[in-house]
Amino acid sequence: MADIKKLYVTKLILWIYSSFTILILGYLIWNSFRTKQDVLSNTLGWPKSFTLDSYIKIFRDEHFGINIWNSVFILIMTILIIVALASMVAYGLGRYSFKFKQGVMLYFLVGLMFPVQLGVVPVFLIIKKLGLINSPWSVILVLSAGISMAVLMLSNFFAGLPNALAESARIDGAGEWKVFYRIMFPLASPVIVSLCIVLSVNIWNQFFLPLIMLQDDSVKTIPLAVIKYTSNILLNMDKALATSVMATIPVLILFFIFSERIISGVASGSVKE
Amino acid sequence: MLQWFGKKPYLWFILPGFILYSIFVIYPIFSAAQLSLFHSNGFGAKVFVGFDNYIELFTNSELKRQFLNALKNNVILVVLNVGLLIPVQLYFAYVIYTRVKGYRIFQTMIFAPQFITTSVIVFLATLVFDQNIGIFNELLNIIGLGEYARNWLGIPGYEVITLFIINAWAGVGFSMIYFVAAMKMLSDEVMEASYLDGAGYWRRFFSVIIPQIRSSIVNIAMISYIAAMTLFDFSYLLGGVSGGINNSMDVMTLFFYRITFGTNGAMGGSVSTNSVGMGTTIACVMFAIIFVVALIQLRLTYKEEN
Repeated sequence: MADIKKLYVTKLILWIYSSFTILILGYLIWNSFRTKQDVLSNTLGWPKSFTLDSYIKIFRDEHFGINIWNSVFILIMTILIIVALASMVAYGLGRYSFKFKQGVMLYFLVGLMFPVQLGVVPVFLIIKKLGLINSPWSVILVLSAGISMAVLMLSNFFAGLPNALAESARIDGAGEWKVFYRIMFPLASPVIVSLCIVLSVNIWNQFFLPLIMLQDDSVKTIPLAVIKYTSNILLNMDKALATSVMATIPVLILFFIFSERIISGVASGSVKE
Repeated sequence: MLQWFGKKPYLWFILPGFILYSIFVIYPIFSAAQLSLFHSNGFGAKVFVGFDNYIELFTNSELKRQFLNALKNNVILVVLNVGLLIPVQLYFAYVIYTRVKGYRIFQTMIFAPQFITTSVIVFLATLVFDQNIGIFNELLNIIGLGEYARNWLGIPGYEVITLFIINAWAGVGFSMIYFVAAMKMLSDEVMEASYLDGAGYWRRFFSVIIPQIRSSIVNIAMISYIAAMTLFDFSYLLGGVSGGINNSMDVMTLFFYRITFGTNGAMGGSVSTNSVGMGTTIACVMFAIIFVVALIQLRLTYKEEN
């Protein structure tokens, strides 16, 4: 379309937005190699020296590695459980016909309507009864139960698959379970990849639930560990900077490498409905 | 029993998910509604009090003040998100959809903050706009406008706007991608036909694109309405448990959090022995407000469409 060249103002806005993001991230990384006094008292000046002290401090003294591990562990376990449970539920709903099927489907979708906060007090009481406060499994279990979106996406997919594949496998003597995990589940992998991308963003940034469930420093996730330092900047500026870099930059690098794939995954998740 | 199950293979597939979902998603909803009728803190005896918690929430002057103040802030956020952010997202989406030069970079950069966790986003905002260590004030000093230097994250009277701006910077990308996807689903023929008919760039946006993706816009409006009504992270991170000085950044979820898990004794003893009862009451009222408005909104849009 020929007349799009004229959008000077629009492009300017977009460039400002993009450069702002780059500049602020660059400033964050830059400062993380300076000493605390230098950052606080010589904010815009040229640093007197560069140092890796902040990073050494957060990994050696503050055990930030444990917090990274907690976040990674919660992310991986939650995704595995959601994908396993949701694909099974979706397969059951999409491939079989039975009484009350519509009702069961509705039951699984109803969860989308309720904000987390509504049920969080009873959830907290259950988790406490199970003795899982301060265990990563508290967050994993509660997040894994939120399968509504995944069931919706996958059941549409399974329902749309042709019958011939499953039938020929059944004739060869494959049981229901084998048909599912050998034939139908692999076919769903493109949908599952999109699903995993959307879920990862959501799980990685979880704040409210871990804040309530994980109170010990040793079980905190990255976002919670970061606020330990950012809540008192004058005292912990160096650690706040280094943990923020560790929380942000590796993930962003992954995003920049796979951005096309990730963005199209998010987009395809949205139009699947 | 086993045979009965054997004849119904779908039960094996559905059951594990059904159990976990029922325990942690469905049961808590009913349990919350029930707990709101008790005077309880989750430890000791539960005393049935009927609707006393609801009555207290709307008659106790301090609770009522905090609740209405938080609700007001949520409503401001909804208005700004739906009235201001969504048009911006549509506008960005259209520019990216039409593949303006550099659109891949814009798309990536605008989406990138999705991958920055909220606590880091607030820290980044502090690095730029804080009164003492923020570079914005330093820059003002350098260009001779030092008299305007201030704590940009807490300008009295504009705290909610600050919340909105931070939320908008971080969140603009997600719905924008949805809109781009919705626009890509439209047929090229209509676009080309309107182009050949002489419709300009913006004319095509308003007369061809917008009417065709109306249902996507309604969906996003609904999602961002719910998101703005349940915003928590930025309010908590910027203002602490009390939601800023005089609760200026307070939102309903934070009010709920404070009453249920609260750390400060500002509410006095009467509430702390009733943290669970009052907490679930607030959660139920919150849900009722969100749900009723969402229903009306849905009803109106579908009526219009028919």
